Amino acid sequence: MAQIESADVVVVGTGVVGCLIAEQLLDAGHSVLMLEAGPRVERWQIVEKYRNLPPITTTNLDAAYPPTRWAPFLDSTSPLTAVDYLQLEGPNARAYRQDYVRYAGGSTWHWAGICWRLTPEDMRLKSLYGVGRDWAFDYATLEPYYTRVEEALGVCGPSDPGLQWPPIRSKPYPMGRLPFGPGEQKFTDAAARLGLKNLPAAQARNSGVAYDGRPPCCGNNSCIPICPIGAKYDAASSLPRIEAKGGKILVNAVVYRVETGAANQVQAVHYFDPDKQSHRVTGKLFVIACNGIETPKLLLMSADTRNPRGVANSSDQVGRNMMDQPKLVAEATLAEPAWTGVGPVQGSSIMQTSQGDFRAEHAGALFRFNNMARSRLGAIQALKTGLVGKALDAEIRRLSACTAELTIEHELLPDPNNRLTLSDKKDALGIPKPNIYYDVGAYVRKSAEIYSTPLVKQLAHEMGATDVRVTTEFTNSDHIMGGLIMGANPADSVVDVDCRAHDHPNLFLPGGGAMTTAGCGNSTLTMAALALKAADAMTAQLTHA
Amino acid sequence: MRARLIHGIAAFFVAWLALTALPALAAPDPLVGEGEYLAKAGDCTACHTAPGGKAFAGGLAIASPVGTIYASNITPSKTAGIGLYTRDQFAAALRKGIRRDGANLYPAMPYTAYAMFSDHDIDALYAYFMKGVPPVDMAPPPTRLPFPMNIRLSMTAWNLIFFRHRSFQADPAQSAAWNRGRYLVDGAAHCSTCHTPRGFLMEERSGLAFAGGQVGAWYAPNITSDKTRGIGSWSKPVLIGYLQGGVAPGARAAGTMGEAVEHSFQYLTPADLDAIATYIETVPPAGKAEASDRFSQGQAGSKLALIRGLSSTETNDATRGAMLFQGNCGACHAALGQGGKDGYFPALFHNSTTGAANSNLVATILYGVNRTTAKGQAFMPGFGGALTDPNQLSNHDIALIATYVRAQYGAGGPAVTDQDVATVRQGGPSSPLVLVARIGLGLGAVAAAIMIFIILKRRRSR
Repeated sequence: MAQIESADVVVVGTGVVGCLIAEQLLDAGHSVLMLEAGPRVERWQIVEKYRNLPPITTTNLDAAYPPTRWAPFLDSTSPLTAVDYLQLEGPNARAYRQDYVRYAGGSTWHWAGICWRLTPEDMRLKSLYGVGRDWAFDYATLEPYYTRVEEALGVCGPSDPGLQWPPIRSKPYPMGRLPFGPGEQKFTDAAARLGLKNLPAAQARNSGVAYDGRPPCCGNNSCIPICPIGAKYDAASSLPRIEAKGGKILVNAVVYRVETGAANQVQAVHYFDPDKQSHRVTGKLFVIACNGIETPKLLLMSADTRNPRGVANSSDQVGRNMMDQPKLVAEATLAEPAWTGVGPVQGSSIMQTSQGDFRAEHAGALFRFNNMARSRLGAIQALKTGLVGKALDAEIRRLSACTAELTIEHELLPDPNNRLTLSDKKDALGIPKPNIYYDVGAYVRKSAEIYSTPLVKQLAHEMGATDVRVTTEFTNSDHIMGGLIMGANPADSVVDVDCRAHDHPNLFLPGGGAMTTAGCGNSTLTMAALALKAADAMTAQLTHA
Repeated sequence: MRARLIHGIAAFFVAWLALTALPALAAPDPLVGEGEYLAKAGDCTACHTAPGGKAFAGGLAIASPVGTIYASNITPSKTAGIGLYTRDQFAAALRKGIRRDGANLYPAMPYTAYAMFSDHDIDALYAYFMKGVPPVDMAPPPTRLPFPMNIRLSMTAWNLIFFRHRSFQADPAQSAAWNRGRYLVDGAAHCSTCHTPRGFLMEERSGLAFAGGQVGAWYAPNITSDKTRGIGSWSKPVLIGYLQGGVAPGARAAGTMGEAVEHSFQYLTPADLDAIATYIETVPPAGKAEASDRFSQGQAGSKLALIRGLSSTETNDATRGAMLFQGNCGACHAALGQGGKDGYFPALFHNSTTGAANSNLVATILYGVNRTTAKGQAFMPGFGGALTDPNQLSNHDIALIATYVRAQYGAGGPAVTDQDVATVRQGGPSSPLVLVARIGLGLGAVAAAIMIFIILKRRRSR
């Protein structure tokens, strides 16, 4: 067992959370070493991989990111590979097939770039509606971090407070909003006729101008699985800057153990290289930034005599309260073309439907027009009809233009029974695979039944749908939250208000796992805001020490 | 009566106060405004303002073939800037390249061009830099060129050989616009500083005015009136449009020219731009003969059929070049290199950057384009010229892309080598001058004196 590296701050994970923390601590003058389980690839390689996929595979949005043998993750290439890594059980097992990437740069490689904030109400579910939990701090505490993240990522958004979500902001967005494509405009108009406001999404995407050396969006409409020009923020784009500032990035280093010392401080992490040679890395502060699945897995694996239930787990809450936004989808056939696909794959949502006193009874929901170009889906569908020649062309055109997909994402409450544990099954390095029990619960099911499904049908019809099919099986939104829940009380939460483990003074577990509640919006901005809050605490801690 | 008198006296005092106080506040020295315009025409900010730094506070590192020169602080700071310069000392710096302490400036400061400045314009520039620029008390790092260039006295000899201190003499046979154009082109705008090739001792080579020269990583091409080698095919409105917005058919301003458009030319009056174009149109053809012009090479096309279905590990250099192009360039410049419909992304064929065999294609890939004018921002990311660029390509991969692009869309010719890219990445070719000068010194002062004697003699016999 060779000890090869040491740094003031050891960051496990090179996604948005790890990179924001690494850069801030480097700026403060501390040495930083980042460990990444997966490989480092160049943007053009992913772009070309994606373009070279057989058409049918391109509907699997992670197909351009094949997992390595040593850093597996969910691979939806085939039904068989899809169930190989994540071991899922419970009434809604299918709905926790979370797509994430174990590559340098992490899952922002293939995120949509959407940057919703939580609302003040989203953070006070228990006191306002008697459900879920309250956060340990309020929106006003989080707001300055939201603003800083928007500047760090380069978020564009509307300057009109009437179009902002929520319109409680200390600074304008760094860039103005992107315009709607024709499909999103039709959806916005339809919503308005029903008294609903479809808001332009705040998004980490350059609108009209360059930001941080990245060009303005030119509408390639392939944000998922990759922005070919880097107009959308992804953490991979910050890796060269981190290195230029003196940070070290070690890839293909699969951390499998967090080692504690006599005072229960963390004193090292251990990683396997692809040949399963073990290495030990020491430091002053440790950050595990592998989000809500890989981080709890690593903590549970690291159980020792001082921490028999796993590192940071005296509360028994590590791996519990797993959250996402359970998704339903409406497929609509339209009388008139919607011209989906102009601009980014997502650009707006109806957010007001996530709020209301009904939250005492059932979940709120977000409604979104999916702006991913439908030519590929139209072509696959048209080929199944057996048509040929001009008739096939015409059918491809019709299906591409005159169909639409509306998405519903529901708010899920933190429930300790939705739980990640270590499976008996092992990966290629002998590391246990994650096992997750998942039930969306009555709160979400009731919403789908009496609230969200009826409303999405209304929206589709208002858009001119001649036929609407709404799915009934919930699917994943890929917004992994919970697993390391934050709270003031060490008895029922894993981390404190700075994402510091209650049990270990020098261990930080920032990101989606720490989120106390989920809201209906995409989770990245809140994950990143928590990262910066943790980074402030870490800087203070190192200065104090 | 008495009360009226007192009112009258009070009114007089108010009026007197207003008269004495107002000129200083409301009617600033008109020379300051003139000087500000001339400072823009001279593009002083290009060198004397560091990126993100305070205006004219210096500090920009200028990579020269003989080493890095740091631009000086030219704010009126008395400690770090030029606040202690008298008008005549200021004039000597601009027109003779002599500092207040008597030391010589390096000709990175284009005093050989600024020598043209009229006395009146010197007065205006002095007024602007003393009264119109806020002082910044921050000294930039000192310039330390390698021996023997660090001996500024060597510049005295250089000036003796190459510097002809000429004031501007109008040519009565030419129009007023032509004369104004020549005053600006050869003076403030110092076009020849970049566009005229430099000789062994960094002097502008005579007989090759505006025939094209290397400026660090970038190549300032031939802008003589020759229709093939130069820009003789451009009409006056095309040249004026290029100076204002950096865009002409088949040409985009990037690198140092992009900066000149952004910081200088876009602010010039239509009359001055017309004057510049009037004069440039008459610059006699010069430079190496070319078989074809750089604006009309190549055509749309792709090698997609060769690479679809391959993985990036299955490529050879030829297919890898095509794949690198599609993966890095194709999303904006389009699969056939045809660019975008609105012209924001230029086509790669009929494009002077790909249509000539100089360093600009590699420089554009490494450093990108970032040019902001009244018409908006034109931006292309760099691919590794800066360590912080989001995408970092190796010298080899950039060489493959450049070779592919030039063959597919441009001038063709020999493959771009890894070494070509390395040279541009280090800021352009370095001069053998330092080494040669050291050897020269080793041989002794006598040899050097003989060399100078011979050069002087040659110059006189021309």
